Amino acid sequence: MSTTEDEVKATGFTKGGIGVSPGIAIGPAYLYARVSFDVEERSVDVELIEAELERFEAAVLKAERDLHKIIAVTREKLGEDSATIFEAQLLILRDEAVYTEVVKYIKGHGVNAGYAVQTVMSKHRQMMEASDSEYLRERANDLLDIQDRIIRHLRRGRILSAVEEETIIVAETLTAADIILFSRRGILGCATDFGGPTSHVSIMARALGVPAVVSTHGATKEIETGDILILDGIKGELIVNPDEETLDAYRTKRKRYARLLQENKQLVDLPAETLDGHAIKLQANLELKEELELLAEYGAEGIGLFRTEMLLLMEGRALVTEEEQFEQYQKVVETTRPGETTFRILDLGGDKLLPMGHREHNPYLGWRGIRIMLDREELMVPQLRAILRASVFGPTRILLPMVTEIKEIREFKRVLEETMEILDSEGVGFDREVQVGVMVEVPSVALMADRFAEEVDFFSIGTNDLTQYALAVDRGNDLVADIYDEMHPAVLQLIKMTTSAARMAGIPVSLCGELATNMRAVPVLLGLGVDTLSASPVYLPAIKRVIRAMKLSEGRALAKRALAAPDAAEFREVMDVWLEEHACGVSFFLDGKSDRGS
Amino acid sequence: MVEKEVTVTNRAGLHTRPASMIVRTAAKFEAEFFIQKDGYEINGKSIIGVMTLAAEQGATLLLIFEGSDENEAAAAMEAIFADGFGEIK
Repeated sequence: MSTTEDEVKATGFTKGGIGVSPGIAIGPAYLYARVSFDVEERSVDVELIEAELERFEAAVLKAERDLHKIIAVTREKLGEDSATIFEAQLLILRDEAVYTEVVKYIKGHGVNAGYAVQTVMSKHRQMMEASDSEYLRERANDLLDIQDRIIRHLRRGRILSAVEEETIIVAETLTAADIILFSRRGILGCATDFGGPTSHVSIMARALGVPAVVSTHGATKEIETGDILILDGIKGELIVNPDEETLDAYRTKRKRYARLLQENKQLVDLPAETLDGHAIKLQANLELKEELELLAEYGAEGIGLFRTEMLLLMEGRALVTEEEQFEQYQKVVETTRPGETTFRILDLGGDKLLPMGHREHNPYLGWRGIRIMLDREELMVPQLRAILRASVFGPTRILLPMVTEIKEIREFKRVLEETMEILDSEGVGFDREVQVGVMVEVPSVALMADRFAEEVDFFSIGTNDLTQYALAVDRGNDLVADIYDEMHPAVLQLIKMTTSAARMAGIPVSLCGELATNMRAVPVLLGLGVDTLSASPVYLPAIKRVIRAMKLSEGRALAKRALAAPDAAEFREVMDVWLEEHACGVSFFLDGKSDRGS
Repeated sequence: MVEKEVTVTNRAGLHTRPASMIVRTAAKFEAEFFIQKDGYEINGKSIIGVMTLAAEQGATLLLIFEGSDENEAAAAMEAIFADGFGEIK
């Protein structure tokens, strides 16, 4: 397989985005508009009012059924905190100010249920939207969700509609809840105008295996229901109304991708070793214990990044007890052994929910990661105790997020030692040699990597934040998202500084950002001296293909060129040629930034 | 009629989860339940009502109960406010 086979030209047009759930979908678009409903007023004869009320009740019942499903799946996949909002929606459905008011309105004005719902809900919504409170203005969206849900069901009762089956959903935004309901109706894929790889909808799409592209910059404005779409969830691309030739090419590509997934299974037990004999460790990024089966399926040698936010935020309490955490961590460590498990301690703040309801103007530069944990020992200590207790069941490492200064590490170690002493005094067993590593995601850590290397047992480079901080760009901001580039020479230089310091100190360096899943970057990362790559398990076989097709010496030469390049664009072309020459069959897994292949 | 003055102690204020708790708790009792804040009164059995209070940490609320089980309702409501809705303070 080579890149040239994948060259396909569209006669329609192409929308770029971020691929967040790999796979290729081909089918008609279904535009899922949130606010498209403008229900017309229709008078209902007195003798038909009862029937109208029954229609309303039936729609509310269906909306309740939807919400119960959504709550169950959200709780299972994302935790109780995320389910709260839908539980509140359930209450709103039957709220006196909503349900009772709508019934009154239908009777009093003799109008259709849809119009009554719209009128009553709009009144509440407008009041919330006009509020001084940011919280209330946000809640207006919940009312809109509910309004849409009821009105959709009112319509479905009258118009037989099969629109959502076998279609690709195109929406401004989707909630995790929407994806859950859609996947049950057998949709092919979904694309949204907004969102990023770590938003709930992306995590849910991956968990459910629905190909998805987010951040399409206004796809909903250019695509209409019924347009034929090709959705490439690997590259992060939508092709609208392609010609037959393109369709054929993508049908072939879809088939080949399915075959690649099959072939990858044979790779699972082969070592990730370069042609000149350098072994690289491939590990998994996980966040739910339900994902543990993926370790064996995709051949991960341990967990390079276990995000604990989901586990810790479950059950509707910010603070899950030590005992509950311990049970979860023990399961993770036992399943992963003999591979190591790297627990990143609770990384709140930034774009991640703060359970205390704390709000900041500039959250990425604010109270997040280790900064919160050191301020809140009541959060950190139970988690440390749980991790330490789990450490007797297999190799365990602790990873510190959002570190900026050496003193944060020292402060953490003081708390760790105190915790160990208390466990000792209680006669509780733990691995005294548990390793402590630091996330390299703030440039100060990379710049001072030599001094940090003296304080920790390993480095883990988080390229998403490192890029954001090094290039001063919020990639969630459409106006500047183009500047965000993890292959930027400045970012690679920071990685180089980190690996050089690690080699001097004799400690390992892993990289757990999205850059690891960019096949153009893999040879360069090896050349820069990264010895472990950690990624969402589904990407590991492709990474292994590249590693097995290259020599480390080539990686070093490529790294040198990448560092010297004026920008990432020039180097991307070099890598395209390289990947083509080395025919490692990963042409699917490019980052979509190049014009090639589309 | 029973009246109780309470203060919102949890950091986030009466956001979605506490509002749900209040409404669910109120629904267990027959007594009517109103909340007054800054001279503005809402039906405490309506989640939209409670949310529109937009009560933040430190806000003082007057809880009003009226009905056969008003004392039990008041005690239950006071307890969840005192507990800060089970959130970290």
